[in-house]
Amino acid sequence: MTNLSAAKSGEKAEELVEPSKATQLSIVWRKLRFSKLAVAGFGLVVFMFMLALLAPVIAPYDPDWTGHRARPPTMEHLFGTDARGRDMLTLVVYGAQISLYVGVAAVTLEILIGLAIGMVSGYFGGLVDEVLMRITDLVLTLPTLPLLIVAIVLFETRSIHTIVLVMGIFGWPFMARVVRSEFLTLRETTFVEAARSMGATHWRIITRHILPNILSTIIVIATMDIAWFIFWEATLTFLGFGDPNSPSWGVLLERGYINFPSAWWIITFPGLALFFASLGFNLLGDGLRDALDVTTRSR
Amino acid sequence: MHKKRSLVGLLTLRTYIIRRLIVVIPTLLLISIAIFSIIHLAPGDPAQTIGGRHTPSREVAEQIRKRYGLDQPIPVQYLIWLSKVLRGDLGYSFLSNAPVLDMISVKILPTVELMLVAEVVSVVIAVVLGVIAAVKHYSIADATASLVALVGYSIPNFWIALISILFFSAWLGWFPFTGYSSVGIVFPTPFHAFLDHLSYLVLPSSVLVLGWTAYLFRMVRSSMLEVMRQDYILTARAKGLRERVVVYKHALRNALLPIITYEAYSIGFLLSGAAVIEHIFAWPGLGRFMVIIAERRDYPTLMGLSMIIAIMVLVANLCADIAYAIADPRISYD
Repeated sequence: MTNLSAAKSGEKAEELVEPSKATQLSIVWRKLRFSKLAVAGFGLVVFMFMLALLAPVIAPYDPDWTGHRARPPTMEHLFGTDARGRDMLTLVVYGAQISLYVGVAAVTLEILIGLAIGMVSGYFGGLVDEVLMRITDLVLTLPTLPLLIVAIVLFETRSIHTIVLVMGIFGWPFMARVVRSEFLTLRETTFVEAARSMGATHWRIITRHILPNILSTIIVIATMDIAWFIFWEATLTFLGFGDPNSPSWGVLLERGYINFPSAWWIITFPGLALFFASLGFNLLGDGLRDALDVTTRSR
Repeated sequence: MHKKRSLVGLLTLRTYIIRRLIVVIPTLLLISIAIFSIIHLAPGDPAQTIGGRHTPSREVAEQIRKRYGLDQPIPVQYLIWLSKVLRGDLGYSFLSNAPVLDMISVKILPTVELMLVAEVVSVVIAVVLGVIAAVKHYSIADATASLVALVGYSIPNFWIALISILFFSAWLGWFPFTGYSSVGIVFPTPFHAFLDHLSYLVLPSSVLVLGWTAYLFRMVRSSMLEVMRQDYILTARAKGLRERVVVYKHALRNALLPIITYEAYSIGFLLSGAAVIEHIFAWPGLGRFMVIIAERRDYPTLMGLSMIIAIMVLVANLCADIAYAIADPRISYD
């Protein structure tokens, strides 16, 4: 702000203080960079995605190539070979494609449904809110695994997309609750009130005023839910309810279980990959939660 | 924090409890309808499933249908099933022809045992460490504990279960592989039998404790941190109370309240975690049972089991609601 009085009186004007040109993204990134753990998490996540995207390039062997069966890790086969003789390292790298796809797709579904329900519930309130929340609470407390198993058993086809669908559909309660409480808070703010007094329609208020503010919360939850969904897919597949044709890490674990514990490498390495993926997303989510927190200034 | 309840307050509490109890019945009915319709949406003709692998001839299929009442309209089938359930008859398994209720009741105890042991150990460790971490905020101990918790939280439980079997059972030989107790061995005293059973309990419960403690620790720590920032803690300190009294008597009690809420409502989550662990360790509980019958598409048993689980969850929620209403005088009885 210019020092008007100084300018008027002819003195040398103080330097103009420009408003910071930093975009929200760069502020968040700068805060994120300060936490080593968050950066590590981000690095892990990027690494996993790179594995998935560059799988054909990185993997040392072709995923269908078979050689010696069930060999422990050697220099030739860093992760050993599985029961059919396929190279484990290759399988793990290709597995990232399926597992990551499942995580991201299921979370997308979860966001869409949870957002919709939470939005309606939080914004409009009243009886609709009551009913929706009762149902949400109930589904929230139901045991996840039995629920998923029952739902999957209903579908005759064991396809990876079924799993994505089921997980995404049953993931909404948590997201809906959080979205709803955010909506309840934001609904009462002055800027919303101002918008309403200017005649904004409900839709406009929701999309242009409330939604941008809850974006950060949704991102944090989504990140950590990706880890959860990857885990649940692996669990379901491991128990035998998965899709054997889509070789995610869970499928590798399921196959390896048969030869357990003698061929220990068949389950160790896919599980390790699962672990690091979960760790990465959790670290990133934690870091994002701290970085997106508007109340703390960047140092 | 504890205020004396006025007469009016007592009336409201009692009406809340009564109202809460009444809501249970329609909820249970709705759940039963949901379970029934979901199972019946399953593709595949039950008559064929019962008939066996070979597709039964028309006449046999008709007979099966009549016998199991499958030719009735769906709502009638539902009412018949419901009336049986209310009388305690959950039907008979497709596959083993054993009464479902008997099969289930024998499996409840192992699951409860596993969950209880893991739960108690988790809570104790998480609360102790969580409080210490919160009190020593910003210290190395806190940072390390938080990191360890995050790692523990990210470890896939079934994978670490397999690794621990590999390590402790196969390679070190400290604990038995899987199972509930050593079969076919006669023990000199019941105590020896008990010790043997314990050796089977260690690995599965440890795996559960790992994941649960990590998650609970984070909750306790963040809850304590938030409570410690409150004004009444400052007041307590200003009054000259010893730090230990401040922490335990004032901060901890309030910090634990959201934890208790979470724990009370998370029986479903506990059950899920226990299910896959039970499966791996061949622990004869409900979780493993569910996996087996789901794999075999044993629909009547699946329905019965789902109903039982739903009832368990509902009862747990009910107790949690009531206990919470009694414990916290601040919440409104809506």
